[in-house]
Amino acid sequence: MLACYPKAFRRESEDEILAVLLATAGEGQRRVGLAESADLIRGAVRMHFGMSRSPRPVRNAVRLMCFGAVLTLAVLVTVLVTLGGVRWGAAHDLNAGQWPTVILTQVGPWLASALVCAGVWLWLAWANGRGYHWARPAFVAFFALLTTVLFFGLGEFTGANALPYTLPDVIAATVLWLVAVVAALLIFSETANPYYQQEPAQQ
Amino acid sequence: MTSPTVYKVSMTERAMQEATFLILTALADGSQHGYGIIAEVQEISGGRVRLRAGTLYTALDRLRADGLIEMDREEIVEGRLRRYYRLTPEGTGRLAAEAARLQANATAALTRLKPSAVVT
Repeated sequence: MLACYPKAFRRESEDEILAVLLATAGEGQRRVGLAESADLIRGAVRMHFGMSRSPRPVRNAVRLMCFGAVLTLAVLVTVLVTLGGVRWGAAHDLNAGQWPTVILTQVGPWLASALVCAGVWLWLAWANGRGYHWARPAFVAFFALLTTVLFFGLGEFTGANALPYTLPDVIAATVLWLVAVVAALLIFSETANPYYQQEPAQQ
Repeated sequence: MTSPTVYKVSMTERAMQEATFLILTALADGSQHGYGIIAEVQEISGGRVRLRAGTLYTALDRLRADGLIEMDREEIVEGRLRRYYRLTPEGTGRLAAEAARLQANATAALTRLKPSAVVT
């Protein structure tokens, strides 16, 4: 369980935590209990995402970025679930033979990019939680890309020749964009600035 | 390890979390090791708060980064490492300020309650 923690923290505190776990263990207990395990994993996640040391705005931004990852996956599931609706909506424009092409050229790549997008959300949450110098510019680049893609998608939604995305897709995309806006505001707040100006060793 | 000043400023403006308050209180009358802190916190809270190892060490890491506690000494007891922590002067000041704030709030609440409503 302790292997889940960052190396530097483990090097410094592993023996100590083990001693505490042994001291708090019940008579004859040989394994860490469920609640204790969950607490250790939670602690490890907090350490990896810099939640124990970062200032509050950064912590909140990290939470939002994790939420962004979850929401992206939710959008992915939404698209999968509403695929039938999309097909039905596109029925008047597409014949039966064209649908597999649409799946291969549009829906498939979109699903793959959504998976990558969720990974990028998590990666940026990790980097910002650690306060790396490059984390904020990276998030800005991601935000610009996200904005372009989402607005392009919404344009398609309203365009004449577009695939008819369902309303839940559009709502989820809008919420995702708003999450990114708030996260960007938080990491560029006055309180957050000094955290990104420290040497990595101090973080 | 230096700690960023901005966090200290923001921390003084915010109410302290209960676990943090209890950990600092456990260290108020002398240095303690990890298990000692857990035991003290349980006693101070009347058994209501039982810190687990993951929570404790995340909090200790944060408090050290904020400069509120520091390592006092290390001992090896029965082959196991015991690292003792103590309050820094800043941690002492922060705890005192938080205790005063809580006391003022409690006093205000008690004075506004009708005497009959106060359960003793």
